[in-house]
Amino acid sequence: MAMDFGRSARKEPQIPTASMGDIVFLLLIFFMVTTVFRKETGLPVELPRAEAGEEAQRELLANIYIDRAGRISVDDRLVQVKHIRDIFRQKASENPLLIVAFKTDTNTPYGVVSDVMEELKEANAVRVLFQNDVEINPGVKY
Amino acid sequence: MGEVNTSATADISFLLLIFFIVSTIFAEEQGLIMILPGKKREQDDVVRVRESNIATIRVNYDNSLTLDKKPVELNQIKNLVEARILANEKTVVVLETHPDAHYGRMVAVLDELKLANARKLTLKTGKR
Repeated sequence: MAMDFGRSARKEPQIPTASMGDIVFLLLIFFMVTTVFRKETGLPVELPRAEAGEEAQRELLANIYIDRAGRISVDDRLVQVKHIRDIFRQKASENPLLIVAFKTDTNTPYGVVSDVMEELKEANAVRVLFQNDVEINPGVKY
Repeated sequence: MGEVNTSATADISFLLLIFFIVSTIFAEEQGLIMILPGKKREQDDVVRVRESNIATIRVNYDNSLTLDKKPVELNQIKNLVEARILANEKTVVVLETHPDAHYGRMVAVLDELKLANARKLTLKTGKR
């Protein structure tokens, strides 16, 4: 008994680290797979808040940024309202399930949004999503 | 026997791991989904709705709100619309927004309507 104690006291305890590389690799692969790099920078907008927002599949979304000055950006290019029809007719024919996501500043005059929607109707891109901020403190609304 | 020194793989992986953790944005895109009516269709596709079944909510140029021409506050809308739908399930809610009103205001109202479970919903743009 006493001898056993003596032997184990002399030996330093060790944490096996051989599998750490494997664990790190697994985590690495997970994060590599889930990472989505931002494709477009768009325009700086302050999204409105809402509670009833639904999540949409990312692959189906095509973004329209409209800032408070009424500037419109699609695919990182500033566009005029009259160009929207052709751009989105193209997109809608490539993907019939397309959802147009409005990333519009909360202070934008509604008229601009309305004009864009009229063009979308003409382009047959009829599924739209008014993107909102994820609610942080409910009750604080516009 | 020549052996490859693998003691640094964990360190390299850790560096990559930290990079991906920092650059990951989990897709959190939420929004209010609407289906627009599409191009002008044939005359017989047009749905006619009785005026008594319509509840019109206006967002005016100064961002004030009216429900059937009576002024209302944003926080009243959900209850009022719920009551209207309960009383008459054929109720169609028309959200008419003035072009000079703020987009955020219209979204706030739309949010209330979605919370009130208003399924028959139309967006309309007011006249200047």
